Formats: sequence, structure tokens, C-alpha cells
Amino acid sequence: MTVKIVTDSLSDITSDIAEGLGITVVPLTVFFGHESFLDRITITTDEFYKRLTRGTVWPTTTQPPPAAFVKVYSELAKETDEILVVTLSSKLSGTYQSALNAKSLVEEKCRIEVIDSQTVAMGLGLIVIAAAKKARTGANLDELIGWVRRAISRSHLVAYFDTLKYLAKGGRIGKAQGLLGSLLSVKPILTVKDGEMAPLTRVRSLSAGMDYLYNFVAGFSRIEELAVEYCTTPDEAERLVERLGSLFPKERIYKSTISPVVGTYAGPGAMAVTVLESENK
Amino acid sequence: MKQINSVSGRELVEMLATATSWLEKSASDIDALNVFPVPDGDTGTNMLLTMRSSVEEAHQSGDSSVSAVAQAIAKGALMGARGNSGVILSQIWRGLAQGLQGKKSFNGSDLAEALQQASAMAYRGISKPVEGTILTVIRQAAEAAQAQVAKGNDDMISVMEAVVDAASESVANTPTLLPVLREAGVVDAGGQGLYTILEGALRYLRGEAEQMQFRKPQIIVSSIPLTVRLPQMAAASEEIYGYCTEFLLKGEGLSPEKIEARLRGKGKSLMVVGDDSTVRVHIHTLEPGNVIRYATSLGTMHQVSIRNMDEQHRDFLQMQKARMPEVDIATIAVVSGDGLADVFTSLGATAIVPGGQTMNPSTKDLLQAVKAVASDKVIILPNNKNIVLTAEQVLSLTDKMVEIVPTQTIPQGIAALLAFDYEADFETNVQLMREAKSAVKTIEITRAVRSAHLNGLSIKKRQAIGLLDGELLAAGNNPIDTLNKILAKLDLRKSEIITIYYGADTEPAEAEKVSASIREQYPHLQVEVVRGGQPHYNYIVSIE
Repeated sequence: MTVKIVTDSLSDITSDIAEGLGITVVPLTVFFGHESFLDRITITTDEFYKRLTRGTVWPTTTQPPPAAFVKVYSELAKETDEILVVTLSSKLSGTYQSALNAKSLVEEKCRIEVIDSQTVAMGLGLIVIAAAKKARTGANLDELIGWVRRAISRSHLVAYFDTLKYLAKGGRIGKAQGLLGSLLSVKPILTVKDGEMAPLTRVRSLSAGMDYLYNFVAGFSRIEELAVEYCTTPDEAERLVERLGSLFPKERIYKSTISPVVGTYAGPGAMAVTVLESENK
Repeated sequence: MKQINSVSGRELVEMLATATSWLEKSASDIDALNVFPVPDGDTGTNMLLTMRSSVEEAHQSGDSSVSAVAQAIAKGALMGARGNSGVILSQIWRGLAQGLQGKKSFNGSDLAEALQQASAMAYRGISKPVEGTILTVIRQAAEAAQAQVAKGNDDMISVMEAVVDAASESVANTPTLLPVLREAGVVDAGGQGLYTILEGALRYLRGEAEQMQFRKPQIIVSSIPLTVRLPQMAAASEEIYGYCTEFLLKGEGLSPEKIEARLRGKGKSLMVVGDDSTVRVHIHTLEPGNVIRYATSLGTMHQVSIRNMDEQHRDFLQMQKARMPEVDIATIAVVSGDGLADVFTSLGATAIVPGGQTMNPSTKDLLQAVKAVASDKVIILPNNKNIVLTAEQVLSLTDKMVEIVPTQTIPQGIAALLAFDYEADFETNVQLMREAKSAVKTIEITRAVRSAHLNGLSIKKRQAIGLLDGELLAAGNNPIDTLNKILAKLDLRKSEIITIYYGADTEPAEAEKVSASIREQYPHLQVEVVRGGQPHYNYIVSIE
């Protein structure tokens, strides 16, 4: 039986990708004041950024309740006896805990393993995508667990934020706090390190930021998967994909939008690239 | 999101308990912020102990109406208050309890009303209220609650959200109001503590108690850049420390007002709060004996604590040293002008050595800075041609690994600092910074110190002259005219950002005029104007 792969909506895996690879995506909840939305289900990322920039109510998010995972596990258990769950960093959300707690509440006989990816967005997404591909070619649960654990250190995400405003308001920024308070308008370049957002450097313009993202990808010689993400600037993302086409087959580059939860502090205009390095054999 | 129309007494106890454990998580961080009124490093702990006493008392309350619970909280705070911040906190609870008197449960507008009383009561407890402290934070939080209710939102969560937002902004703003905070490079500790308590309460209301296990309260970032002094100095607003004397006085017919009047002049940071049967006293005095003698004549004394504040302060300095941000790679920049120093600091320079044109720092000055920073790897940005050599002398005088990135102008120094990569090693960073400095062009506009013929230009004394990357290139009638002459010689089609740092002798209005004229001539450029405060140069302009 094929191992079923489950992740959360912070993996930025679009419904197209999820359907194509048979991945189940459990949504986090986004709140705007009294209104609550299921990430990517009852609110589109477009709508989210529109509301964010309107800025009257500050959005908050919460992890899926264990019940949401229980439901997914039980349904999948009808088709398989092995489920692999890969969640975003447990330092950024309680989703991992939720997914873990849900395990004991499943009545069906099914082996479920939950892994904390220690990363987020396509940093997580590419691991899940690659794992789903491996599951389809017949990898069993133990092989997949080993592969995912090793893949975590090969998944590299670098993000360009167009503004510091949202980073400052959103909290959850770990070491990136050091980027705040700049007297010049600067645009931070961040990464995910040890499960948290961490600063890399700063640039002063969008084009310098795009150069940085491009050069970052150019620094890898063995790329298994590559992703480009944006919040509100699809044209800019398209230009970057074109440019990256000189390094990696353009049609294999995954394109997605940065999920509302990361978007809450990334703000509109943010972009990210993620490289999943191929495994040394 | 859920809406909460009313909060019961039981829920109030839970909320308080949640807020207390939230505070506990950052109590030691708050201790480290403490510089006002005296840098003794105990604000977080004191507030926590005060809160714990409130929680205990509230749990024991037999009556579960909000009114009774709030009274119990206030009583617990008064009984257990420690330190300045604890006493003020107890006043806040007392005001809140008054505002909630007679209520079985409360809603958002009751809360707004009670916060108003809490704020008033907090101010009443202090003989000389100082802004930029916990007082400002409770006042602005209360105002925000009122404003939210006035808008017609009296749901508990939306009122508390407004309160927490306002508190956060208020804390960020404390260094602007209180110079001692700005000098020490911190936000107010008591204000931060109150914010943390309010935020914890809000999280409880939102039902986030579970998630709070995985998170830590955030220490608010100042709204103005704070200069990090090296070695980090703890600023003090009181010269003499003496003894921090605290006790609870019980008796009959006590008058807090009379006691306060009697003790005024006996010390500093005096606070006397309570009612006719229980009074809490807090004072920093050189003669605790006199205070105690007077107090015993009025009633019985409890929880007496007399601590030598010199010792407390020494412990605090020790704690500060241990907590000094350990940077892997330190950067030292030579800068003159307070505005420019702020720019460098805001971009992460570890230390600033004052100096620049005509004020070159000595090798000793630089060596001292190198020794002072808490890192074995140091990068120096001289930011002036004449200082590069001086900086190089440092290399042979220290065991630390030191590299000079030979920046010759301020914009080169800023470009180099910006390129700093937090994850890269020392060598890579030196390389990155060297490369980055060449990617920027610098225009400097100053006045000729004497008449001269140079580079085919005939220059009169005091005339405005302009340099491009250190080369004299233009002379003009005034600084703007000269700057325009140089800009006209450059190919700006591929440039993106022009940053104008105007000097100490230049009017901001004139700088704005300069930037407007550049924007008009080169609409594709992003133009930014920053006060540099540098001497000699009317303008230092960076082109990237």
C-alpha cells in the first residue's frame, strides 16, 4: 500500500500540486478580528494580502486543532496503513504538537509518523513534494522517514521582504529582531535557521534583492527541486523564474504564493526561493 | 474569532494566572532592562512576585463575583508588592477593583472604565509621576480602551486588543520620553512588564493558553534606534543608592497621605499606598532606621525588607555583563555626527568610535574599542582615507583577529555594513564588505577652507565645493548648485537609490529642497533624506 503524505497549509503546496501528487494539506486558521478563515480554503492568498494591506485589523493565526488531523488520519486510514505527516517548524506554530496529539485519537489501525520539518513555506513544501514522489514509486514508511530527516538539512529557503513594517508587528521573528530599527529604508533577506526566521543580510532595492535570490540559487551545483514564491508580485516572480531558467529547467520550478501565516510578517511584496539539494550518493 | 461578551470572576482568576505565567517567562529579560529609577535589575522579578501574591489571594476568594475577586487581587498585590514597579502594579489592581466594584461579571466597557480608574490610581500613588514609565503605559492603554468602546466595540477581546496594541506602542516609545532609557539603550522595564501581563491576559481571552507553552513574550523594540554603549553603561538617575526599604504596615486608622507627607524628604522613590488598616511603604533611603522607627510607632510591621542598593547595583552590572549580546563578529565604525552614528548603530554596528575629517581618532582609541567588544573577530570600518592607516596599526597590537575594510567615505561604510551576512564566516564577510563598498558612489559637499586652483577649478575661500569619491570635481555658488553640477556629470540611468545625509549646519528644509529637485530631475530614483549631523560636510550623498 502506498504511504499517504500529510502536511499543513504552511507548506505553501497549492491544491494543483497536492492533487497531482496525492498530498493531503491540513489548513491552519487565519483570523481577521471576528472572522475566521481556513488557510487557502475559505480565504485565497490574494484576498488575504488585500485585507492585510488594508490594515484595519491585524490578522492572527492558530494551528489546526488535533480534531482536524484525526479526521484526515481516519479518512486516509481507509486507504492505507501507513501515514507520514510533515509539519512546519514547531518553533513557529503548535501544528506539530496538534498532529502528534491527534495520533492517539485515531481508532483505525494505521501507523502514523509525525516529523517536525524545522522549516516553513516551500522549505517544507519541497520536502513534502519530493517525499510524495518517492512514496508513489513505492518507498515504504521507514525509508521515507529516513529520507525526510536527511532532507531537512538540504532544504534551503531564502526570502526577500519588501518592508520591515510587518516583521516588526508580527512578532515570532527570533533572531531577525536585529533587523528592526534601521534608520534607512532597507529590505531584509532572511532564512530559516534552527526552526526560526533568522536574518541573513539586507539590501536596499528590489533588484538587489532579486540578484541576491538568483545568486543564492546559483551557488548550488546539485538541485533536486526548486521553488519560487511571492505574495503580491506575480510578474516579478515570473521574471525571477525566467532568470533561474538558466540554472534549472524552468518548467520544473514550482511556483506558489507565500502562505498567510508567513505573509503576516513578510508583508506584501515579499518573495522567496527554496532549493532542495539532491542527496549525495 | 470568538467574541466574549462578559468575563466571570472565575475567568478573571484564570486570566490573571495565565498572565502571571506569561510574565514569568520573561521576568529575567525584564530584570535586565531595569535602569529606572535605579539600575538594580529586579523589576521583572518584583512584578512577578507581586502578581503571584495576587493570584494566591484570588484563588482563596470564597465569593466568585468579579467584584470580590478583583478586591482579592488588589489585596494580594498590596500584601505582596515588591519594589517600585510592584507597588505601582498594586495601585493599578486597586483602581481596577474599585472600577469593578459591585459587578458579578464584566464586559469591555466595564473594563475600559475600570482601567481608567486604575490609571488614575497608579498616578495617585506616586508623589512625582515620571512619563516614559509604567505610568504612561497604563494611561495610554486605558485611553485606548475608552476609544475602542467609544467606537461601539465593547466585546472583551477587541477592547483588550486595543489595550495591548496601545501598551506595545507606549512601551516602544518610552525611550523617547525618558532620556535615561535612551542612554542605556532599553525600553522601560516596568512598562514592558505591564505590557506582558496585558498581553498574557489577551492571549487567555483568545483561548491561546495552550500555545503559550511554546512561545515567549516579546520584548518590545524601541521606536527610536538606541545607541549601544561599549562597554555597556547602566545609566542611573539617582546618584546615591542607600537602602531600598520596604514593609507592610498594619494598624487602625492609618493614613497613607499622612505617612507619605512624613516620609517625603527622607529618601527617593517614595511610595505609600493602601488603606486605613494596611499600608505598603517603599523608599530608597540613606537612613532606614529612622523610617522603621517612625513606622513602628504607627502599627505592626510585616515583610520588612532592607537591601543595600549599592550591592544590588553591582549585581546588576554583573548581570548586564553576562547578558551582553555575544556577537560572533563585531564591527567597529569610525563616524562623526550623531545622526550618522545612529544610522550605523541601527544597521548593526557593534561600536562607534567618534572621528572623521580633521578629527582622526588615535590608534589607542581604536584599540580600546577593539578590546571592548565582546568578540574575538573584529572588522573595522574607518570611513575616511586618513584613518585607514591608523586602523591598520591596530592589527599588531591585539591578539584578536582584526580586519580592516578600507572604506574611505561614509556611504562606503554603510554599504559595507549593510552587506554583512549574519550566517557567513569572518573571511567571507570581509570579502562581501570589500565588494559592497565599491558598489556605491559618494558625493561630498563642503566649503573650501582656502582659495586654490585645483583640477582646473578656481576656488575661492568658503566657496561650496563638491567631491566625487574623494576627487574634487565641482565648485559652485551654494551647496545645492554644486551638488547638481556633480549629479549632471554622472550616468544615473542604472542607479536606484540616492541617500542624502545632511550635516549639522544644514537646515532640514534645504535638504528637502535638494531631494525634491533630484526627484524631479530623476524620477526613476528613490531618494531618501536622513539627518547625518556631521560637521564640515553640508551633504554626504550616496548613489547606489
